[in-house]
Amino acid sequence: MTSPASSSEVKYLIESSEGNTFDVSGAALRQSNTFNAMFLNIGADGPIPFTDYNEATLKKVFEYCEHSVNEENYSGPKHQDDLSKWDLNFFNEMDQKMFIDVINASNFLDIERLTSYCCERIARMLRGKNTQEMIKVITLPTAEELEAKQKVEEKKAAAAKKVAEKAAETAEKTETLEELPVQQLVQTTRNKLTRKYLSFSNE
Amino acid sequence: MYSPFPLLRLPGVVLCEIFKSLKIGEKIKLSLCSKKVSIQINNARLYSQKVIVDLDRLCHKIKVYSENNKDSFEIFVHFNYGICDPNSIKVEGRTLSVISVLHGIKTFWKNHQEGFLSVIRHLLKIFRCKFSIYNDFYSDLYEKTISELFNLQVEFKTLTIHFKRAGDQHLFWNQISNKLGLVEDLLISSTFDSDFIPVFTSWPQNINILNSDWFTLESLLTCPCTTITLWNSSLGNKDLDEILKNWKSGGFPNLERLIIHSHRIRNNGTTILGMNLEEMVIQTDDGSKKATFKLGYQSIEMSVTVSQ
Repeated sequence: MTSPASSSEVKYLIESSEGNTFDVSGAALRQSNTFNAMFLNIGADGPIPFTDYNEATLKKVFEYCEHSVNEENYSGPKHQDDLSKWDLNFFNEMDQKMFIDVINASNFLDIERLTSYCCERIARMLRGKNTQEMIKVITLPTAEELEAKQKVEEKKAAAAKKVAEKAAETAEKTETLEELPVQQLVQTTRNKLTRKYLSFSNE
Repeated sequence: MYSPFPLLRLPGVVLCEIFKSLKIGEKIKLSLCSKKVSIQINNARLYSQKVIVDLDRLCHKIKVYSENNKDSFEIFVHFNYGICDPNSIKVEGRTLSVISVLHGIKTFWKNHQEGFLSVIRHLLKIFRCKFSIYNDFYSDLYEKTISELFNLQVEFKTLTIHFKRAGDQHLFWNQISNKLGLVEDLLISSTFDSDFIPVFTSWPQNINILNSDWFTLESLLTCPCTTITLWNSSLGNKDLDEILKNWKSGGFPNLERLIIHSHRIRNNGTTILGMNLEEMVIQTDDGSKKATFKLGYQSIEMSVTVSQ
């Protein structure tokens, strides 16, 4: 399915929450630090399960990654006014639900540039406003909604664990690479991701 | 863009990124939206920028600004004379009116002191704060505020100590003298009673004493500060001999600048360490540091550099 040696030419299969699979180029996937930590050096045996996110969201996220493949290296958040026409169209096309799904997926996949632009867009909604105006801009959740959020975070932690396990499984099957460092890498990543999501779901 | 936006449905790490990109004032105003928002902002405190908080009770003002001074926000703490605002908000459990003004907000409290401390507590939860107090000693509540801040283990950028009443000196000094390690610049502007000589059980990074006749040679020899400035000192040329001998043999390990103004410092041909004051350049015994001197009318300034 994949080869670690020429990841820019190869296509990886991504699996969405609906169980659908689609191709993403290695170059686009490499913008995801989560992917880099888990699959880049060892390859993936079968589809990579990002099953906490639907196909539309994942396609939107990787559309961004494919587009920014040829851009210069990321050097910190840009001011909104510095965004290209393509970037602006990309964001303007999304409705609120899709925007939130994209932030969540981008955060999970640890795509620094996309997450940062999304955050800057939200910060922009709050700029120049007083407290009363800010209250109107943000919806304050009820206790039930907060509880639901916690459940989602827990679910994501479980998903992260699942992805890490998949990576571990792949690592075990990879015989051509040195065994010990890969296993250490996978174990470290699994621990890191699980800790990260558990800590936020506990907040 | 999207309004209303369900901000708190976003994951904690994303919220943290959003808060990081907000300006000081935006973060403070957002924290006043609701307790839930405030909790999220407080959770991201460790990742927040370090700010300096100027307490100015005379002007009823708390100024919060970045270390490079490029971003600032002012919070005015006023007494509430019964203004009823339907848009009141909660700060530290108290409901109060808030009005936006240019570069800041005005807050109205039933108890002025409580208001001041509540705002400070609120800021401490949002930012990593360093405090500066310059002219607060005109306020009756000055000592209470400082004690409270020391109890909260906050750091001070600048702390001015000035006792209004002689009777307060012992008690207040005892409360703070072992906590001066939290202070970067300490300015002591009081004149002390003759029966009271403050004893330092901890030291700030830099010390500046305006009426330092009580600050003896013995005190100075134990002072580990980086910058020491003594005005109206009673130290003379003989004391300078002692100070420099001590420095040469490894004393004052952190010293970068020592300034002493004293009517007892004479530059009339007398020598220190056998050298004429005008040309003096000395080295530590181990050769690691060099000191140069500038002489003024009844004053001497010593600058220390590390030898090449």
